[in-house]
Amino acid sequence: MEFVSPEGLRLDGRRPLEMRQLRAEIGTVAKANGSAVLEMGNTKVIAAVYGPREVQNRSQIINDQALVRCEYSMANFSTGDRMRKPKGDRRSTEISLVIRQTMEACILTHLMPRSQIDIFVQVLQADGGTRSACINAATLALADAGIPMRDIVTSCSAGYLNSTPLLDLNYIEDSAGGPDVTVGILPKLDKVTLLQMDAKLPVDIFENVMGLAIEGCKAVVNYIREDHQFKH
Amino acid sequence: MGLPNASGDLSTEVEVDAFRRLFPLRFFEKHLLESIRPDARPLGRARDTTIALGAVASANGSALAKIGSTTMLAAIKMEVMAPSMETPDEGCIAIDFHMPPICSPIVRPGRPAEAAPVVAKQLSDTILSSGMINLKELSLVSGKAAWMAYLDIYCLDADGALFDAALLAAVAAFSHLEIPVVSLNDDGKIVLSEEQGLSEREPVNKEKRKVNLGSIPFSLTCILHKNYILTDPTAEEESIMETSVTVVLDSSSQLVSLYKPGGAVLAYTSAIQDCIALTRQRVKELQKILEEAISGMEVD
Repeated sequence: MEFVSPEGLRLDGRRPLEMRQLRAEIGTVAKANGSAVLEMGNTKVIAAVYGPREVQNRSQIINDQALVRCEYSMANFSTGDRMRKPKGDRRSTEISLVIRQTMEACILTHLMPRSQIDIFVQVLQADGGTRSACINAATLALADAGIPMRDIVTSCSAGYLNSTPLLDLNYIEDSAGGPDVTVGILPKLDKVTLLQMDAKLPVDIFENVMGLAIEGCKAVVNYIREDHQFKH
Repeated sequence: MGLPNASGDLSTEVEVDAFRRLFPLRFFEKHLLESIRPDARPLGRARDTTIALGAVASANGSALAKIGSTTMLAAIKMEVMAPSMETPDEGCIAIDFHMPPICSPIVRPGRPAEAAPVVAKQLSDTILSSGMINLKELSLVSGKAAWMAYLDIYCLDADGALFDAALLAAVAAFSHLEIPVVSLNDDGKIVLSEEQGLSEREPVNKEKRKVNLGSIPFSLTCILHKNYILTDPTAEEESIMETSVTVVLDSSSQLVSLYKPGGAVLAYTSAIQDCIALTRQRVKELQKILEEAISGMEVD
């Protein structure tokens, strides 16, 4: 199947190095300490942060830092066919772990010992790149909650189909069976905190694709910095 | 916030926010004496309500309803299934209500909220018994194929009156629902038709159509406290004054359901009738809001 036409257009009309449209809004869940809704193209996720608050399970208290918990779940109607088991399945558990560890890397947990920070992410519409959208939404929600962080984390995915590196894959491109590289960076410190890839790829092309994903992450950072509602 | 200055009363020595947390009941009663609530609403007024149709692009019908801060997202997905033996001419509706942990600080992952299955059952009973949807309309081929409509409602922010907002979202999603076009393929199975021109097969239903809704149910939850009736409670009010009455009326003002699940306050019939009268007014408001949302969509 052709994912990049001879004129250089993808299935949804984008160019290979073009990201989908990004839209975000913070403070949408009134009850949460911090919340954000983020859209990357048709992928729409909502993240809510509760904390720092008292640890609910006494046996899990850490004396010198905060406990970070994360739960990722998809709405039943988020994908094309209705999902039977939106959470507790292996994929959701894995993504919950990935998001938790990514965010833990940037939160200054030692400033809030013996407390708990909960990050909940709910996918309302899934069209590829849900992992990245969730991390971006979680970053905004943490910032909205005023939780001290070393730096923000932004994430983006990239792939390689029809011998072309493609930025920000949607669902069809993702399920094409080509490689999918997801990267999460801390922009100011210029460090990579999350890197995942599946499928085979020669090393030099991989460097290319990873570089492209990092450019995508930087584009997300620019969006966050430029949008006036996020400036304090 | 004008707290009456009673001498010898702790309220004069403590800050408003602290007083609200330490003595919530007294805080509210001070307001009720002046016939007002902390968010400046009179006792009989509901919060600002909005409906947005088509919130989820990938679903066959969807709606986002907000009452104050309480936010509900409802989406309907249609699947083809074989009807049961007893009712070969009828389709089926499955209603599910979810409270993900984002909606409230008291919901923990792994332990579903206490309110979720209660509201789910209430919704299921109300929608199926109200006669809003005629299940025979969901039939495709008698005895062989019928529609199964999965209605999923997600609470995105829980700030009281969950059932009201959920019912409103469900009703709005049904009014936005479009049944997709299907046709029989060679194996005798139903498949979704992609475009009109391509299929040589005869479509089973001619065009995408909207479901005909019968009488639409609308609800109002009131809290009873001593002699006061507070409509459309927030989560704070619900946690302090626990006795609630939910009345569901349909668009022709007939009573669909009445729900008073125990509670410390025992209500005389007159209190229940007051609740029904308040619901009647609220039904008119909600009908107007729903009609505006629907006509707003049709302009596109």
